[in-house]
Amino acid sequence: MSATMNIVRTEARLFARDPIALFFGLVFPGLLLLLLGLFFPGFDEPSADLGGDRYIDVYAPIVLALGLATLGLVTLPPILGTYRQFGILRRLRTTPVHPARLLWAQLAVHVGVAVAAAAIAILIAVVVFDVPFPESPVWFAISFLLAAASTFSIGLLVGAVARTTVSAQAIGMAIYFPMLFFAGVWIPRSIMSDGLRTVSDFTPLGSSVQALADSWYGSTPSATNLAVMVAYAVVVGFIAVRVFRWE
Amino acid sequence: MPIIEVANLVKTYDDVNVVDGVSFSVEEGEIFGIVGPNGAGKTTTVECVEGLRRPNGGSIQVLGLDPIRDRYEVTQRLGAQLQESRLQDKIKVGEALELYASFYRDPADWHELLDRLGLQDKVGSKYAKLSGGQKQRLAIALALVGSPEIAILDELTTGLDPQARRSTWDTIEEIRAAGVTVVLVTHFMEEAERLCDRIMVIDHGRVVALDSPSGLIRKIGSEQRLTFRPSEPIDDAVFANLPEVTTIGHSGSHVVITGTGNVVQAVTALLAGLGVVAEELRVEQTSLEDAYLELTSGAGDPDGTEPGAT
Repeated sequence: MSATMNIVRTEARLFARDPIALFFGLVFPGLLLLLLGLFFPGFDEPSADLGGDRYIDVYAPIVLALGLATLGLVTLPPILGTYRQFGILRRLRTTPVHPARLLWAQLAVHVGVAVAAAAIAILIAVVVFDVPFPESPVWFAISFLLAAASTFSIGLLVGAVARTTVSAQAIGMAIYFPMLFFAGVWIPRSIMSDGLRTVSDFTPLGSSVQALADSWYGSTPSATNLAVMVAYAVVVGFIAVRVFRWE
Repeated sequence: MPIIEVANLVKTYDDVNVVDGVSFSVEEGEIFGIVGPNGAGKTTTVECVEGLRRPNGGSIQVLGLDPIRDRYEVTQRLGAQLQESRLQDKIKVGEALELYASFYRDPADWHELLDRLGLQDKVGSKYAKLSGGQKQRLAIALALVGSPEIAILDELTTGLDPQARRSTWDTIEEIRAAGVTVVLVTHFMEEAERLCDRIMVIDHGRVVALDSPSGLIRKIGSEQRLTFRPSEPIDDAVFANLPEVTTIGHSGSHVVITGTGNVVQAVTALLAGLGVVAEELRVEQTSLEDAYLELTSGAGDPDGTEPGAT
């Protein structure tokens, strides 16, 4: 087996051996949607607050974004911080394999888990709560991958500069909660004030939620939302790669 | 032709020459020791050889290659164990070896490597569950899994208990017996003396000595101390005539004589001539530890201006 495939397989195994990461990264988005839908009164009925939409329809794309943020900002940065702190990246530099391959393997594993987590959440939404299957599947897939790219590039930047596991955790969390706020986890975007929603549009997760919601319910995502995600992915990703410290 | 050749190596951090003109060469098949106090520049020197750091001056040839420019080829043929480097807590021993083996074009049989290092029972154990000695043996296995021609081992036995240290020494000798050239960074003189063919002592980024262990001791002008109980009383004055003798003293019923050169032969020949038997004879030689302390500033004498003052 090639070195790259071996690294991806090893990193996937290590991820699977971390029960907390597995729970919050893989299971939590779908579980949250299920619990909200089952136990929050009126969650799966049309709501006057949302202009006749159901909360469950609004929250389905939100939990997908939440899952991406958890993987990108809570699980990814401490792994990179640990790999630097333990000298794992340095050790790799003495082998014929460049340690960058370990980073790409981590990103690949995180994308894989993110897709699986989204599949679980979509399945619950569709089967349990009669949410339609994403109606513009191609735009939905594009939106999801751009959402992952923009969120993970921020996590990569945190992991690029944090010297230790603990500092990577702290910085990741400090970005995680504001991002969730702008994603509409506490106040859905449709009932945000105009000003707040404009700010939200310029955060990666705010744009992600809007693009996911638009494509889920049959529209084409707005150019603004797509451009914001691309910009974060490219600019932040580029900076992360440039400033990445191997030791 | 030397397998590693370093000439006038300079490495600077914050305008300080951490390595300041170090030159040495390592011959194929030897165990080459690098010793020196903390901060002397040992690790920086080997990290330049490994290609982890870019020198500010001088030249390095490893197997005739440049560790920076020919990084890929050098890493294929040089295995390294780094100071303070660990693996992921949850990776299993067998997984780590299989992974690292896949990096090399001509990997060793890692099952056999585990047997040789006494880790065969640990193949399914997670890294975090290994003892310090087992982690170090795994680090050696990973350094050897690419079938390297050179292995660089940095502070391999630091933090190990004496038993684990000794078994690691046996391992290092086996590595050399298998034809691998070993560069050993250590601050244990006992370890260097036991294992190394040649030792380079560095201090403040400079080479202060480079010789075989016995050569290093000789260089200090070795003083020897004889302690014995004469079978019959003997006058100190008879020893005073020997040119090799420097001091004569007593400790209980024992005579204690220090001297240089062939003092042992001179004293025993004299006693034999007098028909006196030296009972409980003990000879103590200057150790490599003494030699090391004299060569470096680590003897509680920062300027090193008074060698041998103690």
